[in-house]
Amino acid sequence: MTFLRNPLLALTCFLSLLLGGCGGGSSDDRITIGVAFETLQTEYWVAGFDAIKAELEKRDIRILEAIADSDSNRQLQQIKTFVTRRVDGIIMVPKDAKTSIPAIKAANEAGIPIVLFNRIADREGVEFVGVQADNFALAKATVDYMVEKARETGRKHKAMVVLGDMGDHNAIGRRDGFFAAIDGNEDIIEVVARVPSEWNQEKAQAGVVNAFQANPDISFLFTSSDFLFPSIVSALKAADKYHKIGEPGHVILGGFDGDATAWQMMQDGYLSATGVQDVYFEAEASVQAILDLLEGKEVPELIRDPGFVIHQSNMEAMKDRMWGAVISSGN
Amino acid sequence: MGLDTAKLRKRILGEHLPLLLCLLYFAALAPFAEGFATSYNLVNVFSAMLPLLVLATGQTLVMITAGIDLSATAVIAMASVVGAMIISGDVGWLAGNPLAVPIGIVAMLLVGAVVGAINGTLVAWFRMPPFIVTLTSLMFFSGLAIWSTQSKAISALPHSFLILGGNDWVTLAIVATVVGGIHILLTRSLYGRWIFAVGHNPKTALVSGVPVQKVLVGAYIAAGLIAAVAAILITSRMESGSPVHWQRNLLDVIGATVIGGTSLYGGKGKVLWTVYGALFLTLIDNSLNLLNLSHFTIMMVKGLVILAAAMLDVLRNRENG
Repeated sequence: MTFLRNPLLALTCFLSLLLGGCGGGSSDDRITIGVAFETLQTEYWVAGFDAIKAELEKRDIRILEAIADSDSNRQLQQIKTFVTRRVDGIIMVPKDAKTSIPAIKAANEAGIPIVLFNRIADREGVEFVGVQADNFALAKATVDYMVEKARETGRKHKAMVVLGDMGDHNAIGRRDGFFAAIDGNEDIIEVVARVPSEWNQEKAQAGVVNAFQANPDISFLFTSSDFLFPSIVSALKAADKYHKIGEPGHVILGGFDGDATAWQMMQDGYLSATGVQDVYFEAEASVQAILDLLEGKEVPELIRDPGFVIHQSNMEAMKDRMWGAVISSGN
Repeated sequence: MGLDTAKLRKRILGEHLPLLLCLLYFAALAPFAEGFATSYNLVNVFSAMLPLLVLATGQTLVMITAGIDLSATAVIAMASVVGAMIISGDVGWLAGNPLAVPIGIVAMLLVGAVVGAINGTLVAWFRMPPFIVTLTSLMFFSGLAIWSTQSKAISALPHSFLILGGNDWVTLAIVATVVGGIHILLTRSLYGRWIFAVGHNPKTALVSGVPVQKVLVGAYIAAGLIAAVAAILITSRMESGSPVHWQRNLLDVIGATVIGGTSLYGGKGKVLWTVYGALFLTLIDNSLNLLNLSHFTIMMVKGLVILAAAMLDVLRNRENG
């Protein structure tokens, strides 16, 4: 009974017996694409995930899904699982620019085309196609509109910018876009607070509260993501700064993403503008890029989502393209 | 047939039950989970299991003393950041220095030993509850790691370092050394017997001449060092130092230990059981991913499995009086 006294030997023998026979092969010969998201904790990622699933279903492509719960190690294992399942392509939202490189490498080594959706990684010895909003241009255009509104008030404004995770290229692009728009407009905008959020609601709220305590006369606020608005609004209310456009004490607000909260704030007259990432364009472009790569076509390393700025003057005309408004309407 | 049936049954359903569960689970899922039984996937399973196994081995040591170490993931964060700050080719303090990697590794181990020594001292000499002490360490050192890097990952680690966690054979050798070493420590040394004695009943152990405080401090330092070894493997595998590596996997570390059969009440545990526990949790993760179940479903299943293992531990303890 050595076999039973040595459990590891038993395990090895058992696995060996099964190795030859079990493959769990699938009779489904459709194209299969693995979709690996870092998280589904914000509306944007949920909308993106749903948009990709809808795009794949429309094209009769089989989908395998995986959510890493903000853990790059888990994401690496999930990509390896996709390789095991012999997927034809992978669409992935990496955790950040650096820690996701081994996961991309695993796909590269298996010869599986990989597209990074909305957030790209450093190109350190890895190959991928990135589909990403032009964060810099979109943030700049949004803040340009806010500056225009500030100029219309005829007075100087103190400004706050809520930054994202500086390990994320998107956050950096949005920060740079903000400062590019402020550049040359220092006569009416003075940036007095840079609040790091690291894409965390609690940190954003604490930072905004602190900034208002230090500078109670801040009247211009741009956030690098709309998903932080609930925290920001809470802090604004605590400081008695949450007033509609045109009311005394109004803080000019701008954001980025185009989520349902931003749409509601825009409808209610609190939010001046937000840069909308075209999630449907990005989903369609990601799937198309995989299919093109499978056919051996040339695909650019980076596909830009031009996005658009939605503001009080064009909101009715643009709402059908704003994913947050589409979600709100239940379409 | 030297072993009688009753004894064999007791042995299989007792200490080797988690292994039996692994085998049954594997056999049951293999026909349904596409690719589950392929060699590529099995290599993945074992490769994914190794860092978890190292961490759970440290946890086993502490749990046998009737303690718990919640600071393991904070040690990973802190050691990962400190090591990367020293050896990174971009921003490392010793970038380009041929001694950067060995010095970085020593520094990482030192971080683990220091955190373990703080935990052990507070538990043993100040008689503070291990849960509170290690929870505080978890919060403090995780926060310190994030603050010191401003939440940024540090990359450009030297190739000689990347081999440690990137080459499965090297990783296996390191893990086997650590796990085997702790197994020998627990089963063949006087210190191992003292650890069990302290876990069973610290007062009786003290009366019997066991240096209880020193044993406890030693166990926590060893757990800290082992967590630092895991940090080396994880940092190397992920090719970057980050304050959030493994931040959300503490449940897996404790789960693997408890599922294996190490008692939450102390005085009982084996490294081999922890191997089974780590294997079982990794198999669950891997197979449910292959079945295309969502992460949330996987979390729920793992939670239920850990709960079942903890309940089994309670029942066994009741049976034993």
